Amino acid sequence: MWRSILLKEWLKIRWFLAAALIVNLGFIIKIFVDIRSILSAEHAQMVWYQAVHLHTVFHHDMRYVPLLTGLTLAAAQFFPEILGRRMRIALHLPMARDGMMFFCLAFGLGVVGAIFLVDALFIHLTMRAYFPFEVAVSAVMTALPWFLAGVWGYLGAVAVLLETAWPRRVFFFLVFSVLIAMLYSGVGYGWLTPALPWLGALLLPAFLCVFESARRFQRGGA
Amino acid sequence: MKNVIEVHNLCHRYNGRSIYENLNFSVPEGSVCGLLGKNGQGKTTLVNILMGFLKPTSGTCLVLGENSHNLSPAVRHRVGLLHEGHLAYEFMTITQTEKFFRGCYPGWKSEVFFHLMDKMGLPHNHRVGNMSCGQRSQVVLGVIMAQSPDLLILDDYSMGLDAGYRRLFLDVLHDFAAQGNKTIFVTSHIVQDLEQLVDTIIFLDKGEIMQVGLDQFMRTFRKYVFQCERDASLPKDEVIRGFEQRGRQVALYSYEDMEAVDRHLASLGIQAHQLCRAPMSLEDGFIGLMGKY
Repeated sequence: MWRSILLKEWLKIRWFLAAALIVNLGFIIKIFVDIRSILSAEHAQMVWYQAVHLHTVFHHDMRYVPLLTGLTLAAAQFFPEILGRRMRIALHLPMARDGMMFFCLAFGLGVVGAIFLVDALFIHLTMRAYFPFEVAVSAVMTALPWFLAGVWGYLGAVAVLLETAWPRRVFFFLVFSVLIAMLYSGVGYGWLTPALPWLGALLLPAFLCVFESARRFQRGGA
Repeated sequence: MKNVIEVHNLCHRYNGRSIYENLNFSVPEGSVCGLLGKNGQGKTTLVNILMGFLKPTSGTCLVLGENSHNLSPAVRHRVGLLHEGHLAYEFMTITQTEKFFRGCYPGWKSEVFFHLMDKMGLPHNHRVGNMSCGQRSQVVLGVIMAQSPDLLILDDYSMGLDAGYRRLFLDVLHDFAAQGNKTIFVTSHIVQDLEQLVDTIIFLDKGEIMQVGLDQFMRTFRKYVFQCERDASLPKDEVIRGFEQRGRQVALYSYEDMEAVDRHLASLGIQAHQLCRAPMSLEDGFIGLMGKY
């Protein structure tokens, strides 16, 4: 039965996934081209000074792309379900509600995670091509809060979409917005790295929060 | 005979407004039960409660022996549910719809689904979202029939359908009911269609319920017509359950025989010319019992 759920989720997001991949790869290519042009325009020592001493983040332009990716895929996956309250179809399937939700979320998070993994890999390879290993690792660590924002954005959007009561919707919107805003509040390389495990741990209650929203969606007249 | 649906002392309130108070009824296995009520009387709410999409304020609803707000996947497997508005996954094609539901229902009958789809004459790669309301309803009908459920719950299946599609539903539902031990619980705003389908009717009005066999209702509830020279403002009472007036022609509905009605009208000072019993359809009976508005 889980194959059917995955088929449904795939059919909903496939074109949005393709668009998200194109946008993400487009930004990665832009970063690569930008760094190349900086290196050809300026002296290598100057670029080194910018990177190491001034903490110029060369992949800064793509900081909102993961968030946009998470929000887009959440909307692609769950907007058709709440439109006309179509999720009632899935909720009537001979499958436990939580199990069904788990498959849907696991699929969505898996896709979002896979895109971010590709992003991280290309950021690392791009930086590694011109900078030492430590700088390349630091560049990836700097991008991790952005990826986390993408995952927060995904879970937040799902929770907000599935909620039936507007006060709760607004509450979730505010909570997730504050959390996401925090991930963008610093500058420089790896500024949030020490706090990442704690922020990552917060994903679990966010994940569970979506299950509660789904429960209320069903109990509230769906 | 065991009951497939049992409702005991059901109460439900919405925004402080009482929808039902102490509702009690049951639907026996193998019956075709029609739930009738005017708009806004809570038919869809009742279906939502029965399918676990709404928790009632109090009372018990049992569907195939399980509490309706906690139905197990095994019981949901046995219930074919047609949601109001013929809900379907519009991003899927016919083939994808079949593939999706086939994976969810082990006893899925592909031939039943495709038999209904082929009647549409559409290619199987046609998207549900590009179909007309009638075609979409046919896909949904194919889905619930291919599940081969024990209990069918249809929430206003006739919504937006023309006579042809409504007749298709009736044909398919007749065949389904004829299989034996299959139960149908149906709501529809096209009352005359239900007359051809159901054996039991549940009238839902202002939170109260009346359950009666179709034959018994059509036999005991009567329509009388007469000519009246002035505006007949008839009171609703034990004899006069409802009436309609168009010009001088009055239609009166009652459980009483014609003599009792004639006497009652005379006692009210109404001269009923050419009083006679008239043929009554289920829709007439529905209007006579529930009123128009």
